[in-house]
Amino acid sequence: MSRKEVVVIPCSGIGKSLGSVSREAAYELCETLRPDRTQLVALSKLVLGEEEARGRVRNNPAVTIDGCKQMCAAKLVRHSGGTIAREVAVFEVFRRYKGLKPEGIAELNAEGKQLARALAEEIAVDIDEIAEGGAHA
Amino acid sequence: MPNLPQRKAGIVACSGEELAEGTVTRLAALKVLHELRPANTVTICLPLFLAGSEGDRAFARFHPTITVDGCELRCAARGTEMYSGKPAASIVVNELAAERGVGKIEGRRRLNEAGKQAVDVTARRLAELVDRFVGKQDGPEQVTESTVLQPSEAKIATCSCGSGVAVNKVLIAGESVELLALPLIFQHCREKGRAPETAGEDLLQNLKIYNYVPPEAEASYREAIVREYAAFCAREESR
Repeated sequence: MSRKEVVVIPCSGIGKSLGSVSREAAYELCETLRPDRTQLVALSKLVLGEEEARGRVRNNPAVTIDGCKQMCAAKLVRHSGGTIAREVAVFEVFRRYKGLKPEGIAELNAEGKQLARALAEEIAVDIDEIAEGGAHA
Repeated sequence: MPNLPQRKAGIVACSGEELAEGTVTRLAALKVLHELRPANTVTICLPLFLAGSEGDRAFARFHPTITVDGCELRCAARGTEMYSGKPAASIVVNELAAERGVGKIEGRRRLNEAGKQAVDVTARRLAELVDRFVGKQDGPEQVTESTVLQPSEAKIATCSCGSGVAVNKVLIAGESVELLALPLIFQHCREKGRAPETAGEDLLQNLKIYNYVPPEAEASYREAIVREYAAFCAREESR
């Protein structure tokens, strides 16, 4: 069975801690947990409609990680013609980890980093399934 | 001229997640918002220009906006101009860093020393531009005539995501015209105790801060805004 590469698109949340969690989780996935199966795509390129980024989103299953209810990453992947294999809303995942209270934006606190790590580990399992050709969400 | 609340500059960072320079844009913007010019600045996430509402897209028409990009693609500058309004100024981190002799920026997740230096250089440049557009207000308060209305004057960094700038359509000389910030203008005038029949000139002057008013159409705009203000006051009084 052929393996697919999965594109990971975190939101660009700049005003809230959960935006920083989404970004940190994306780095955890793409640099530490699944570097061989993922590629990060900058959301700003999709805003601009940059062709190479749009192509990567159109030609690979996508995992979006959004910090707030605006769901910018998910909306922009759809706007770019991409297929979302897993749509993650950090504010919903956060409810399952009530003991972890993320704080800080420029620099996440230890609990925020822990939440990002836990989130990345959950998504890594999905990425394995997607990359092995399993069903998309 | 009424004494309006203080003006704020908008900062839009590309936040480019793929590059270390993108991280620099984000951290530099946050440094200005949280430390250097918290009272004078407001931000919005770039993707909201597409994913958000018409109010979000009004951001750069409402705030004099400085964009900060990591690379020559200039996603923040071009995206802001495409969807919101022409930025008042733009910075590109890799160009500024080269100009200031900063070394190779690395570490999109954890910046190296050169990256941290680039954050400082970029933040200082942003702060200079903020001062140029809205005056240096983090020291002694300074209110200029050409101010921008804000719903709150709290001295904290503000994220505008989802809050939006009010955009209303008003019938002027038989045509539907989009106007920014009407509720704020009306609220401000009402707090000053202006009755609709005597508020025409104040309303028009405030309207012109946020909207283009064709000189030949000033009388029509004045008539329409007084009419809308009278309706606003009636609604407020019936509450």
